[in-house]
Amino acid sequence: MTTFGLVLRNALRNKFRSALTILGVALAIVAFIFLRTIITAWNTGADHGAKDRIATRHKLSFVITLPKRYIDVVRQTEGVKGATWANWVGAKDPRNPDNFFASLAVDPESFLEVHHEMKVSEEARQRWFEDRRGAIVGDVLARNMGLKVGDKISLEGTIYPGTFEYQIAGIYEATRRSIDRSQFLIHWDYLNDSLPADRQDQIGWIIARIDDASSSGDISARIDRTFEESDVPTLSMSERQLQVSFLGMLSALLTAVDVISGVILLILALILGNTIAMGVRERQNEFGVLRAIGFLPRHVLAFIMGEAAIVGVAAGILGLAVAYPLVELGMGRFIEENMSAYFPYFRIDVSTYAAALLLSLLLGFIASAIPALRSSRMSVTDALRRVA
Amino acid sequence: MSEDAKQIVFLRGVTKSFAKGGEALTVLHGLDFEVEEGQFLALMGPSGSGKSTLLNLIAGLDVPTAGRVEVAGHDLGALGDGQLAKFRANTLGFVFQSFNLLPVLTAAENVALPLLLTSVPRSERKTRAHTALKVVGLSDRVDHYPRQLSGGQEQRVSIARAIVNDPQIIIADEPTGELDRASADAVLDLLQKLNEELGKTIIMVTHDPRAAKRASSVRELDKGQLS
Ligand SMILES: Nc1ncnc2c1ncn2[C@@H]1O[C@H](COP(=O)(O)OP(=O)(O)OP(=O)(O)O)[C@@H](O)[C@H]1O
Ligand SMILES: [Mg+2]
Repeated sequence: MTTFGLVLRNALRNKFRSALTILGVALAIVAFIFLRTIITAWNTGADHGAKDRIATRHKLSFVITLPKRYIDVVRQTEGVKGATWANWVGAKDPRNPDNFFASLAVDPESFLEVHHEMKVSEEARQRWFEDRRGAIVGDVLARNMGLKVGDKISLEGTIYPGTFEYQIAGIYEATRRSIDRSQFLIHWDYLNDSLPADRQDQIGWIIARIDDASSSGDISARIDRTFEESDVPTLSMSERQLQVSFLGMLSALLTAVDVISGVILLILALILGNTIAMGVRERQNEFGVLRAIGFLPRHVLAFIMGEAAIVGVAAGILGLAVAYPLVELGMGRFIEENMSAYFPYFRIDVSTYAAALLLSLLLGFIASAIPALRSSRMSVTDALRRVA
Repeated sequence: MSEDAKQIVFLRGVTKSFAKGGEALTVLHGLDFEVEEGQFLALMGPSGSGKSTLLNLIAGLDVPTAGRVEVAGHDLGALGDGQLAKFRANTLGFVFQSFNLLPVLTAAENVALPLLLTSVPRSERKTRAHTALKVVGLSDRVDHYPRQLSGGQEQRVSIARAIVNDPQIIIADEPTGELDRASADAVLDLLQKLNEELGKTIIMVTHDPRAAKRASSVRELDKGQLS
């Protein structure tokens, strides 16, 4: 028998109580991992906004369109390698109106040029370019809606009224996380031609690809200065900033999530602390015996904190083991498929695993510190007097 | 140091008071007390007379309000907490009334417990524990847990634990208090054997006159005074 063996056996002496404690802490660890992953997934989404792209929109709002001729001005701007544009269509599948996805009317050739991380086969590309009613969809959305190449689908416009029929020309994938894999992309020309004359030749926003990611601020300023005095002023920013501002309303929510995960840990420490204090109180007499035969206060301290650490780590490992299938494989996939606009990649970060494990150990120490200190400082004669 | 080297326990003018609700309760009044090396002393006296308190002072588990306590050449008043713990581990063996074995450990592991504080290697710890269990006649119970033992067997295991470090003095507070006659006799036989054959000094508190008869001398403590 070793000192560790003694600590281990004490940690497991009341099997039912230990099992409940470990289970409770493990559940809280799963909740913690889930909440942390919301935050990291959110930040990764924003992080992966391409840095070498600038988006230009109306100075006041997304919803106000720009004249199409602006695209030529942006293309002439120094530092811009190429530019394309998009309009938000807001199309819905009448068979499933609750399914939200991004539908954009784009200029196919320049759009694919500027979004070079979109992977589309050569045949699909040609099919799309040639078919005015052709559309390409992201692989995630295609799977979600059960679409394959060649399928015909009718979508209802919300911003642009009417029902339009499209044929799936191809399915795109993404080589980087900066691409939303749930978009439905149609021909801008097809949309534009269907509009009354006074609404034609308006574009939602411009996306420009630039030479040098580090000068995105300068180039943005240059573009905006050009249109400053006109009736339709613009606001340009890197795609990453755009994502952050677009989803900015969520940041308050994320702060709340952060606070909640902290509160969970606190509750956890209190529950664990109480359980440990109870277990220790029942055993004062044993600690008295240990002290009488020559063990020191710090031995008693180490015994108690060691037990708590074992419980904490066991709970942490169990929590991790449950979190992977539950949070990453279960909820994560669901969120990726259904909320990909916000969380294109909902995966548990390695740092979250590490933090959870470390925290469960730390919680064990924190929760046991007070009962351990009290027991170790108790006078031996008082401890021996306690009848178990 | 005491003038007589044969006195392994030597108390002079020991007073012990406890603060009880603002009032001081004096349990021992300027006590002089000594135990000779190799003695088997039975300490008797009515409940509350201070017998356990006296043992605690000898064991360095508590400090006197006044007076000197010397045990096995150590002036306990001059030792710090760490040194007192070391003194107990090396010099004393404890036998408690209610056995006080750790329920999570087997008999052999309970016996080996004090050796965890030493540099004795693991295999040697095991050997010594088995030897000590052999001395108390429990070679066939090494892997039993306390709940699988009778009270008398538990007390013999705790005696094995008390001697595994080969201490000079064994301190026993009512070791037969919770045992039936036969088990008590077995425990007393054992203590007698340790005293006679291994030369251990034993200080035993007891209420039982039959137990006291086994001792080489008997002292009576009453109202904080020895008679
Ligand atoms: N830590 C303490 N605080 C206050 N009073 C104490 C403390 N320890 C002992 N006493 C008191 O000191 C007196 C002697 O106690 P002690 O335990 O030494 O008696 P005892 O002779 O061993 O009695 P028993 O035969 O019942 O075991 C008792 O009145 C007891 O209440
Ligand atoms: Mg007593």
